[in-house]
Amino acid sequence: MPTVVLMSDFDLPTRSASGFMLRYIAPRVEPVQLFGMLVRRLPFQLTAPQSDIIIGCGHGDVDAFTGQNEAVILEIGKYSPREVKGKVIKLISCQCGIALCPDLVKNGAACAMGYTDDYVWVMDADLASTPWSDKIAATSLIPVVDGINALLDGKTAQEAFDIELEGYSRNAEVEEDELVKACLEFNWDNAVLLGNPEARARARLRITFPLPPPPPLLMPVA
Amino acid sequence: MPTKEFEELKEALREAPTAEARKAAAEAMNRFLAAHPAKKSRPTLVSLGYKKTYPQAIPLDKVSDELAKNPEFFELMGRIVK
Repeated sequence: MPTVVLMSDFDLPTRSASGFMLRYIAPRVEPVQLFGMLVRRLPFQLTAPQSDIIIGCGHGDVDAFTGQNEAVILEIGKYSPREVKGKVIKLISCQCGIALCPDLVKNGAACAMGYTDDYVWVMDADLASTPWSDKIAATSLIPVVDGINALLDGKTAQEAFDIELEGYSRNAEVEEDELVKACLEFNWDNAVLLGNPEARARARLRITFPLPPPPPLLMPVA
Repeated sequence: MPTKEFEELKEALREAPTAEARKAAAEAMNRFLAAHPAKKSRPTLVSLGYKKTYPQAIPLDKVSDELAKNPEFFELMGRIVK
């Protein structure tokens, strides 16, 4: 059963967030991994029904999650329930936790995790070609990675959600930059898990040795 | 322990987003950034918002400009820095 990982890559925030997915999540999941130009509605429609977990990284708002160049992937009233039925869904995006995630659960998703306000962090724009090496962005994005890896280890949605929240708290406690710390606390406050907290995806193979990072991303971003 | 500059920024962001309050918050942000020079080469505040009136990526040294002109961004910063 494939994993659907959606990694938009066209501006600084999507480059940063998808860079961490590319570095830490993509190597351990089987296709279908949609990166850059492939993060569009049609490839998603074709692949989502076969998957048991959907991990999405892109811009969003209250009722929509978007992919490459803000192409709408999931929007309330405009997707088929078979794209989400029985799936564990994690959306790294803004405000999807307000209405879209509840709608996904209403349409049969086992659970949906998102955020009820903007997902914000501080990144180093000079590291756009190797976003995974950005230590300041890592304070916010590694907790997300840890939560997703917990899902891929076969842990329940609640366990994975708690791991992400603990990551924010732990990093906020030691963070000296007050703005970065405020962003971590903000993301902690806004993270939501809806649906069945006991939902889980099939456990994927765990990679226990360090993998080399991907090659630098040379496409310029806005 | 929050610094004096950060406390002042918090206070400034608690106001209603009038033009005067936004200007005061922009000045408070500049004072905060001056007191805490960036350790990173090009620190940028980013978000994964869609159809927003503010940019999704704002270099930290331009955050005060956006605060001064955009009530929606002022309110977002008020929610972040609370």
